[in-house]
Amino acid sequence: MSHPMGRYLAKRLAWTVLVIAIVTFVTFVIFYVLPSGDPALRFAGKQPTPQLLAQVRADLGLDHNVIVQYLLYLKRLVLGDKYGWPGLGYSYSTGAAIEPQLWQRALITMQLILGGAILWLAIGIPVGVMSAVRARSRFDRISLVTGLVFMSTPVFWLGLVLLWLFWTTLGWLPGTGYVAFTTSPASWAAHMVLPWITLALLFAAIYARVIRSNMIDTLGADYIRTARAKGLSERRVIGVHALRASLVPVITLLAIDIGTLIGGTVITETVFNLQGLGSWVLQGALNQDLPVTLAVTIVVTVVVTLLSLVADITYAYLDPRVRYK
Amino acid sequence: MKSRRARLTIAGLGGLALGGALIMSACGGSGSSGTAGPATKGGIYRVAETDFGFTDNFDPTGEYTSEPWAMYRGLLIRTLLGYRLTAGVAGNTLVPDLATSVPASPDGGKTWTFTLKTGVRFAPPVNRAITSHDIVEAFTRIDTPALAAQYGFYYSAIAGWDAFAKGRSSTISGITTPNNQTISFHLTTATPDFPYRLTLPATGPIPSEVAKCFPAAGTYGRDLVASGPYMIAGSASVKITSCAAITPMSGFDPASKLILVRNPNYAPSTDDPTIRRALPDGFSFTIDTNQTDIFNRINAGLLDDSPNTPPASIVATMATNSASKQRIRISPDDRTSYLTMNLATAPFDDIHVRKAVNLIMDKAGLQQAQGGPLFGTIATHIVPNTMFNNDGAITGYDPYPSPSNAGDLAAAQAEMRLSKYDPAHDGKCDVASCKNVFAIASNTIQGANMVPVIENSLAKIGIALNFRELPPGSAYTTISTASRNVPFASNAGWSKDYADPSTFMVLFQSTSIAPVGNINYSLVGLTPAIAAQIGVPYPKGALIPSIDAQFGTCAQTYAAGARQSCWIGLDKTLMEKVVPWVPYLSNNAVHITSSAVTAWDFDQSSGGTSYARVAVNPATQSH
Repeated sequence: MSHPMGRYLAKRLAWTVLVIAIVTFVTFVIFYVLPSGDPALRFAGKQPTPQLLAQVRADLGLDHNVIVQYLLYLKRLVLGDKYGWPGLGYSYSTGAAIEPQLWQRALITMQLILGGAILWLAIGIPVGVMSAVRARSRFDRISLVTGLVFMSTPVFWLGLVLLWLFWTTLGWLPGTGYVAFTTSPASWAAHMVLPWITLALLFAAIYARVIRSNMIDTLGADYIRTARAKGLSERRVIGVHALRASLVPVITLLAIDIGTLIGGTVITETVFNLQGLGSWVLQGALNQDLPVTLAVTIVVTVVVTLLSLVADITYAYLDPRVRYK
Repeated sequence: MKSRRARLTIAGLGGLALGGALIMSACGGSGSSGTAGPATKGGIYRVAETDFGFTDNFDPTGEYTSEPWAMYRGLLIRTLLGYRLTAGVAGNTLVPDLATSVPASPDGGKTWTFTLKTGVRFAPPVNRAITSHDIVEAFTRIDTPALAAQYGFYYSAIAGWDAFAKGRSSTISGITTPNNQTISFHLTTATPDFPYRLTLPATGPIPSEVAKCFPAAGTYGRDLVASGPYMIAGSASVKITSCAAITPMSGFDPASKLILVRNPNYAPSTDDPTIRRALPDGFSFTIDTNQTDIFNRINAGLLDDSPNTPPASIVATMATNSASKQRIRISPDDRTSYLTMNLATAPFDDIHVRKAVNLIMDKAGLQQAQGGPLFGTIATHIVPNTMFNNDGAITGYDPYPSPSNAGDLAAAQAEMRLSKYDPAHDGKCDVASCKNVFAIASNTIQGANMVPVIENSLAKIGIALNFRELPPGSAYTTISTASRNVPFASNAGWSKDYADPSTFMVLFQSTSIAPVGNINYSLVGLTPAIAAQIGVPYPKGALIPSIDAQFGTCAQTYAAGARQSCWIGLDKTLMEKVVPWVPYLSNNAVHITSSAVTAWDFDQSSGGTSYARVAVNPATQSH
């Protein structure tokens, strides 16, 4: 790995491993420090006897001290367990292996996030650019107010209003739930469109304001004046030179937002009954289901770290001044 | 306080609306028909719930909550004895199921012999007749520690029980099977309620040729072999030629769905078709983590039922509409919600304080906080009246009456003046131990709504509570960890396991006190020795009452009438001489069904929908 890029990647991946170790440890500690009581109690019935509690603790692997449990977890994670690799164990609540559920739910969450991201970029970028180009115009003011409305609107409220309007009142859309794309592409899209809109409106408002601000700064830069002086068309100046520079911070923002949304779509998933990672981690936390909580935590950590790496690389591509060190 | 007041106001408004609705209509009710025509065969009955909440991954040996019991009893598992699977006192009446009759014990409750019906067969993939040995297999699994049976203690009186559990014997000597159709239980102590214990789903027949492949807790549920009118979809495709060949039944994914189809081997002639009507062609149970969404989908006709309690706001809205209120099903459940006081902590170590708390409590306010009268009636004693067959000796019994159930300040202060904690005799607790009294509440909407009602009530007699609101699971584990010695809690409730008052009274036995997993929250019967074991200080100069002797007498009483009178007497003793609780609500089970449901009933034995007695009209279902 003598190439600077190779060294940089190796270093970042090593950091990812360290971050996972730290995050899983903190999750373990929080799980045991919080005053939730003995998780075995939840699986030992209404009238648990000491013998039964001991048996349940042994079955769940809770009969060791926290440090040993943590090290055993790391060992299974790295070496795999009877369910495969990585060894994520099984859910206390369902007894089912974590891994297949994780991918199944991650797929739903990714569909929600990527669909939403496409939508918010499709709205946010043109609105931001138009607002910058026509700063202080009526369009700019309307987009500002609209953006503020969506930024301050609670996601659950927006989701419920959309459901009320398009499902209950107008009957245009089929309501809540998830239908796989392979089952019916049309039904899949019909079920996903409201969650996408709900997720996208908030972010579109934020992105529009960020892009507007970046664009205004960029349009005042010397090289833009130079480009105009050289006789380039306004469309080329804005669409190629100014937009490219304005999008650089947006790339980082997008990577972080997508990463954090992996486990942060709890409200959208709950409102629309999408059985993704967000609703799963919420149930896991409420049910003291440590393996579920840990699995989602690891996924979010990995995705955030990797997306941030992708963002850095893309950043360097878009901005030649950035170099790997 | 502002937010609490706001929550209370909302609860109050909701309660008023619901109260009005109650007056306007009986709201559907149990055993009622639906609105979509006559009950006929066919269709899929679609149920959604926020979480299956299985305690043992649907393995009947360790499943200990009401919803899976309702599924088992109505649809999947037949037991030696059962219930009528209907509402009210009738639903608590024993009937034969796999057995030909409900037997009497020849020796006062120590020996019980059953004859099995012929022609009852296991569902695919087993496809053979059920014999007495399949009942033995169920008990063998209950008595196998590694399988973590959650109510094995109900059978510990069977001779040879401990020896088998500890590996000293290869069989349970107290269970004998003279032939394939006969099984006898020989108990070491008289257990008159033993027939009731044979209604519990863990005792249903289990085929050893499949069960032997699942030696760990919570694994057999994925391949549960049915004996009832339905089976898990995909049962017929499972190969049982060897343990390695067995794959999970495709109709069950514990994370998302449970799909049931008709059991082709079920013979209605071996059952009572007036009990298990088995009208739908199948059932689908799915997960939807959004409770409100579930009921929106039921109202839209996309689902038919849910075991979850509907939000009070939805019930209130539906109750104002003549069409939708027909779909609200209100069923008195055998459940009591109560406030628990710890007899080992000040100021509740003084019976006068506990009586004063009962007298001052605004039970009407707590009822409103829980959603209003539709969600339950005011409780005045421990065991629900239906558990006593609505015996006149207990119905109407209220040792702590107050006008409109809102609390009686004068009576409470008079009682408080008798307490050592009221040295000034002003009717209020005057000492420091009444200030900042630690208390646990659930942080659900209902639980949070209750907090200001309780605080305001107790403040009138000088007790200032310091509530900690926790998620339901954490609140439960906190109060059931005896070493935490929680003085007061508002998140407690209890449902019967079977239709005998002993399943409530067990909460007050000293043997129920445990360091972890304690169910005797009030620590009734605590002795200095037990206190030392569980790590709590025994209050100086106190004598904590015990009901152990009276419990033993009642539990050993064989004659039904005398037994009931004994339990009624114990209920009154608890309310007047021990006073561990403030019982405030006899809960109703509230269900909302879709307009496609043409028949519905409540299963009093399980406390949920009687799935054996529902029907849908598929033509009116939405998809």
